[in-house]
Amino acid sequence: MPTAILDIQDLSFIFDDGYIGLNRISLSIRQGEFIILAGKNGSGKTTFLRHLNGLLRPTSGRVRVNGKEISTHLIETRKTVGMVFQDPDTQMVGDTVFDEVAFGPENLKQPRALINEKVSRVLKALNLFHLKDRHPSTLSGGEKRKTAIAGILVMDPKVIVFDEPFSNLDYPGILQVLSTLMDLHRAGQTLIIATHDIEPIVFEAGRMIIMENGSVMEDGAPLDLVPCLESYGVREPCFSKFGLQPRPWQK
Amino acid sequence: MTASTDLKMTVYASLFVALIAVGAFIAIPIGPVPIVLQNLFVLLAGLLLGPVWGLACVAVYLIIGLAGLPVFAGGTSGLGKLFGPTGGYLLGYLPCVFITASVSKGLGKKTAFDILAMVLGSLIVYAAGVPWLKAVTGMSLEKAVMAGMVPFLIGDALKIVAAAFLAKTLRPLMKL
Amino acid sequence: MAEITPFTYRPGDSSLHFLDPRLKFFIVSLISVSLVGAGFISTGICFLMLVLSLKKTGLHFFSILKHLKLFLALLFFIFLARAVTTQGDILVSVYGLALTRQGLTEGGLVAFKFFAVMLTGLMFSVTTRPSSIKAAVQWFLKPVPLVPEKRVAVMISLALCFLPVILRQAKEISDAQNARCAHLQKNPVRKTMGLVLPLLKRTVLSADRLVLAMESRCYRDDRTDPEFNPSGREPLFLFGTLALCLCLLLC
Repeated sequence: MPTAILDIQDLSFIFDDGYIGLNRISLSIRQGEFIILAGKNGSGKTTFLRHLNGLLRPTSGRVRVNGKEISTHLIETRKTVGMVFQDPDTQMVGDTVFDEVAFGPENLKQPRALINEKVSRVLKALNLFHLKDRHPSTLSGGEKRKTAIAGILVMDPKVIVFDEPFSNLDYPGILQVLSTLMDLHRAGQTLIIATHDIEPIVFEAGRMIIMENGSVMEDGAPLDLVPCLESYGVREPCFSKFGLQPRPWQK
Repeated sequence: MTASTDLKMTVYASLFVALIAVGAFIAIPIGPVPIVLQNLFVLLAGLLLGPVWGLACVAVYLIIGLAGLPVFAGGTSGLGKLFGPTGGYLLGYLPCVFITASVSKGLGKKTAFDILAMVLGSLIVYAAGVPWLKAVTGMSLEKAVMAGMVPFLIGDALKIVAAAFLAKTLRPLMKL
Repeated sequence: MAEITPFTYRPGDSSLHFLDPRLKFFIVSLISVSLVGAGFISTGICFLMLVLSLKKTGLHFFSILKHLKLFLALLFFIFLARAVTTQGDILVSVYGLALTRQGLTEGGLVAFKFFAVMLTGLMFSVTTRPSSIKAAVQWFLKPVPLVPEKRVAVMISLALCFLPVILRQAKEISDAQNARCAHLQKNPVRKTMGLVLPLLKRTVLSADRLVLAMESRCYRDDRTDPEFNPSGREPLFLFGTLALCLCLLLC
């Protein structure tokens, strides 16, 4: 059995105003897993994700990445756990797609030639290379999301965390992002996807964790958990509502 | 100051650089002289960012304008604009933001003192802009005041009142 | 920014586009400064060259004039002020204001020179990518003590990213308010607040999210320096400019 890449023990987080964000979460995530983190808005998904690369510090409990404590290995964990945020417009820092993707390696002070080579490789892999001189704000929704993913991939992460990757996307955009996710999964990446719309990925994911009020309520195989989704405020996918066989979105 | 608040101030200051640039383009149509929002954002930068970051913010704005990004009024840029007839107003933003921020900070960020700070700051902009306009155009001081100061005073008063309210609402939001 | 001003960068393949931005900046400054001491004929030559090269970048002279309306009005004002305040041979006298021949030439020359300097600046903006401008600024600030040039470069990038976000949100807010008859509001303070308060609230939230995104991508002040790709024609342009400036100063 592969070793745990993320090890979360008794994680609790309380906001400044006393609101309980996370309540004693213990989880272990292995290399290569494809995980859906489901739950309605305000269930603590985002708060949980932000603990995975040290953007928030736990009130109690701990998170270890590759066996190392986050607070003492901050840069290392941020390289290991990449995070793709919900709104791509507010995470872009470059004025071309190329510069945007190069931002991370520049922060690590990698040499320019290496950066150019890595950025080109990632852009080609994600089929974005022809857009490299475009301004990110002029891209389509799906292309923006993919650019954000490229900006993370270029740092060679072991785990990629997505916060609502399908929000505000049209159908072609969802398919674009979905196929990128599948490629990453096949390449052996560990993926954690927080969403309140599980329909596009329920068939592909290997594990689903359902959160409510800052606690983990269910943890198991996605298709087994589908019937209880609506009691936690997450829409049940159509196929199971109508008693059909599950079918993947991608042909 | 921790690395994280440092980063936060860098991002906020950059936001205000962009707001000051946009402020040169968006105007609220009221009366014969439309209210341009640029100096409102300069004053707010002073109130919200403090003397050091406020000064950095205006300096970066002037640098990118000087360096050729079209962020000055009318989408212009460069030496010609910065040292042209209206350049005094642009350069006046530097002492303006510093004085506004220092007075507001020194007196404890109360609305009444904020207004005083902004009145001082606005006067400094004219103290730099009007003599400059006079020198470049060669008109008399009286005419320069009539053309380069008087028409904007009412708008400035309105903007100062608005900025005082805005600062009061935004300070808790920005956790400053 | 493209939607509000025609003077943003336009992709192209003129030799000006490929010139090293540092040298281009130096050339532009040199020409601008030399113009201050130039006479009519040399300003005219310089002006002609500027108009011709602007044409190559795809900007039409008349569309420039249209967008510089306010600036032209200001120039006309300067021209008039100079014309009536300079002592000399009186041509016409109205209400005690004497229009002199020396005044007309003097005013005309000053206005002409300002216009030429303005065009020089435009030429630079139109042919230089924002990221190159940023790189050049960083390079020029490097020897300046007490100025953290890498931080300044990051601030420039961020400001450029905020511009389209702010413009889009300003448009959305004013549309949403006009849809509810906000244009009937006569109180100017309320009117200003009505636009600016939601705009600032939203952009501050975007800024907060950007801070998180930058942190999770390991942002540090000590970053990889930008690179410059000189086109090889730099000496040619440098000598050409020096010759032009000499001509400007002597004629």
